[in-house]
Amino acid sequence: MGLLRDWNYIEAATEIPALSEMIREALIHALFVRNDRVLPREIIADLTRTPAVTVKIKDDADLRKLVQVLNGSESTMSLGLDAEDYNYFRTQLGVGKDREIGLTVRPHALLTYDWLVPEQRGVQVDFSGYEGMQFPAKGQTALAQVGLPWKRLYDEALAKGHLLPAVPTVPLDFTVGDAVWGDAPLASYDAEFDAYVNAVRTISAFGHRTRVGFEEAANNGTGYDVLHGTLPLASEFYVPLEVGLRLAPKPAAQKTLTYTYDDGAKLSASFDKLARTGQRFPWVHVADAAAAAVLRPGILADPFTVQVALAGTATGLPLREKALDAALAGYKVKSAEVPDPFGVPAAEYAKAAKRAERGLFVGEVRLPAASAGDLAARLKGLGQQVAAKVGFYASLRASGTLSAFPFFDHPKDRTHIYDLSKGVARLVEKIPGAVFVSRLAHLWNEEPAYLARMRLLREIKLAFDSPHVLEPLVRP
Amino acid sequence: MANTDYAYRRLVNTLWPERVSRTEFDRMVYSHDFASLPKVALLQWRLYPDFVVLPQTTEEVASLVKLSDESGLPIVPRGGGTGWYGGAVPVRGGVLIDMRKMSHVRSFDPATRTITVEAGMTWQDVAEYAEARGLTLPSLPTNAMASTVGGGINSDVVGYGSLRNGGLRQVVADLEVVLPDARVLHTAFAGDAGGAYADLTPFFFGAEGTLGVITAATLRLIAKPDLVKPLAYAFKDTPAAATFLGAMVDAGFQPYHAALLDREHFVFERALRAGSPEPADMVLVTLAGAKDDVADQEKALDALAPKLAAAKRPPQEAEDLWAHRFMMYSARRLSRGLVVANNVVPLSRLGEACRLSRELIRKMKLNGAVHAFPMDTASAILAPYVLMDDTTPSGGTALGYVKKLGDAAFELGGHPMGLGLFMVFNLRRMHGRAAPYTAYVKSVFDPGKKINPGKTIEVWTKYQFPGLRAIPPPAMRVGLDVAAALRRIKPTPDKFVRAYERGKEAD
Ligand SMILES: Cc1cc2nc3c(=O)[nH]c(=O)nc-3n(C[C@H](O)[C@H](O)[C@H](O)COP(=O)(O)OP(=O)(O)OC[C@H]3O[C@@H](n4cnc5c(N)ncnc54)[C@H](O)[C@@H]3O)c2cc1C
Repeated sequence: MGLLRDWNYIEAATEIPALSEMIREALIHALFVRNDRVLPREIIADLTRTPAVTVKIKDDADLRKLVQVLNGSESTMSLGLDAEDYNYFRTQLGVGKDREIGLTVRPHALLTYDWLVPEQRGVQVDFSGYEGMQFPAKGQTALAQVGLPWKRLYDEALAKGHLLPAVPTVPLDFTVGDAVWGDAPLASYDAEFDAYVNAVRTISAFGHRTRVGFEEAANNGTGYDVLHGTLPLASEFYVPLEVGLRLAPKPAAQKTLTYTYDDGAKLSASFDKLARTGQRFPWVHVADAAAAAVLRPGILADPFTVQVALAGTATGLPLREKALDAALAGYKVKSAEVPDPFGVPAAEYAKAAKRAERGLFVGEVRLPAASAGDLAARLKGLGQQVAAKVGFYASLRASGTLSAFPFFDHPKDRTHIYDLSKGVARLVEKIPGAVFVSRLAHLWNEEPAYLARMRLLREIKLAFDSPHVLEPLVRP
Repeated sequence: MANTDYAYRRLVNTLWPERVSRTEFDRMVYSHDFASLPKVALLQWRLYPDFVVLPQTTEEVASLVKLSDESGLPIVPRGGGTGWYGGAVPVRGGVLIDMRKMSHVRSFDPATRTITVEAGMTWQDVAEYAEARGLTLPSLPTNAMASTVGGGINSDVVGYGSLRNGGLRQVVADLEVVLPDARVLHTAFAGDAGGAYADLTPFFFGAEGTLGVITAATLRLIAKPDLVKPLAYAFKDTPAAATFLGAMVDAGFQPYHAALLDREHFVFERALRAGSPEPADMVLVTLAGAKDDVADQEKALDALAPKLAAAKRPPQEAEDLWAHRFMMYSARRLSRGLVVANNVVPLSRLGEACRLSRELIRKMKLNGAVHAFPMDTASAILAPYVLMDDTTPSGGTALGYVKKLGDAAFELGGHPMGLGLFMVFNLRRMHGRAAPYTAYVKSVFDPGKKINPGKTIEVWTKYQFPGLRAIPPPAMRVGLDVAAALRRIKPTPDKFVRAYERGKEAD
């Protein structure tokens, strides 16, 4: 959703005389917690506005019409102009609304927290009923509507002989759209979610049906990779409707193995070693004791529980298992009995999701696998400082990066979210090679190279969205 | 525009005389890439650069880009010059930046398994450097020997390893780019942020040198496999071999690489090298990994093969094919020239795609061979090549094959690869209503159209008068359709192999 909008708002706010003296971080804090003792009334009003209407999308024609009304082209029919020309004339003539009427999408499940600047009186679209999926008769692809629950797609794919490679590190009840415009942490051992997206069917800011990418084939060699360049902030560039995904074949044989560790140092060493072996797995996840208790209540969990999905030929699986055992040496207990968290029935998954979503999540910590134990220890320290139970879910990548999602047992109010985000950001600074990825962290970052990239991205957004309808940028 | 003598002096002041050339010979060498262009093209474009320069540092590249504001001369970045569609040749002269002197390793970090290299280094050299240290590139272009890091990224190439380990897009962690305003930009966050922090790297994949000059890249490495083992299987025809590739992936195999080479390829190879394998429709599967895992996969593949009428070939043959993997186009020697029709098609339709490729070769009376390989679980590269002799009147018409096969790729749900100078007309068909997005991106990075202008999103001519400045992309399309039609009415098929063998006997 609107990261560029949030960032742009802060950039603009720092230029307001009344706020220009404030240090950036204090300003972000005030904006985030909506501190009315520090901020002018107009800004508080901006931050607390809600979209005027919510529209539930049933088919793409509704959405096209909506976008055309918002970009004004519906009213220009009599002139016979199309949307691009209409907008050109409007811009040239300086005709404009004093506030853009924008469109925003509502995530189904949000892991962390809402965006800073809400849609200003515009339209919120709700895709919860937009949940179809198609699998071509041949080949390893699927087309999923954005409102489709992830778990349903996963199950249906399996039933049709495919494997949806990207699975959530934190098992919430995400929809496909949440991975595109929200913060659903879908990934495989090999790659992030984006790598499995071949195309997105969208409605452009001009109200046209526009396909970005190719549904049945990769888009290599077709000019700039606009698809993957815009995907992380998709809904600020177009309204995604359907996502064309690349799947994997259902493995001939598969197995989920569970290893527990009683010591962070051993876990770190094992993970570091595993990622250096060059072996391939669908996914490798780890939960600390708190996270494991959420996933499987009633079980007294060891400090760390690692689950690995193994896939291959029936004869090859034992060999891979042996190699895996060797790489993970140092584990306390190994078991093949613990179920695959994604293969369980939908109702069971939903129950786990309900439990998991109670945690207060602040974002993702990406760090070298060898520092897994270090992260766990530092999080524990932070938990003690803030008197909250803390835990984390994480997934390992073949590159040796661990992607961890800390959570706290704390009420989800904005002050706590901010303070705990800051706490995590501080501890991440102390872990060599680690990076904290969250919306707040994006806003805090003042590194010149990053700011230069954000400015370029903002320019690209403005070019895609010249009618200013897709989560339009707002100035205080 | 400042005069060229002045521009020359300024360039020499920046780089020293030995790294600036304006000799006729050098300019001629740089006036084409791997594509054979008929002389008549010079009527349309000023393919000869005014200057060829060889920078050695990012600062020098930035200075060159800045100088172009003064001189008004466009900048054309170039790597190995092995592109197929004129991406690295100027359309209105200008300063051609040959990046190959920037070919050093800047840093290597075994702990994070990353390497930062200059953009003029070849992929093969990067791989060798890493392999000497126990690591390797997860994937590298099929032309790794000559393709530079910057050229491969800008061409968005696909190659060895992508089926198992993901493509080059997953290999590249960050790029250092000199933007058209001479600023130096890092396209990604320093460290693995998983695409967060405004990662602009994807825009440079397939940019064909039109967004900026890549000066360095940080690449991800993986452990070098214990064993790399090629296997070869022969089939009754090309579609059967293609079906095998699809069935293999659907059965859950993701080997390091698997490629189809048709019988004709080996006919050409045999004419040139007596020891090359007996002509047959072949699939080369290369396994990589732990020894026992490789052995298990080989067994499983051998079990799958008879079900799909595949006959295993002797190990020496597989080894020979793998050893020659970087020499795909030796057949060029048979005819003087060769064009490759590079496409991405759905893997599920590869059989049909191969059949169409052969049919077109026959209908257009060409000599050509089919080469294809799965790039991931859903897509395949379809890259047949045809021989041409551009010194004969019918020579250049072989380019019509590229056009026609591209049309077929669209019909199959895929697309041709590469826009460069000759294939820009495909942009609209590729992206439909999303085609303008490409122009938006260019306008943000290079509003003054300074870097490699007149390509990828539009086709400029050498003329600056209104009306003649650009070629409407459909006109290029019609031109190639005409070329294809001329091929069809050509009375006799090409006979390059026979002519070559006769020539050899005469010698
Ligand atoms: C044997 C052989 C096999 C091939 N196989 C494939 C294949 O499988 N797939 C495929 O797609 N292509 C293939 N090609 C075509 C070509 O080799 C590749 O596209 C190659 O990666 C281009 O690299 P290069 O360094 O030669 O780039 P060049 O041809 O020099 O340039 C290619 C494009 O990149 C730009 N460029 C080069 N360097 C830079 C830089 N540093 N910064 C900015 N822009 C830059 C140029 O302006 C140009 O537009 C093959 C070619 C041969 C001869």
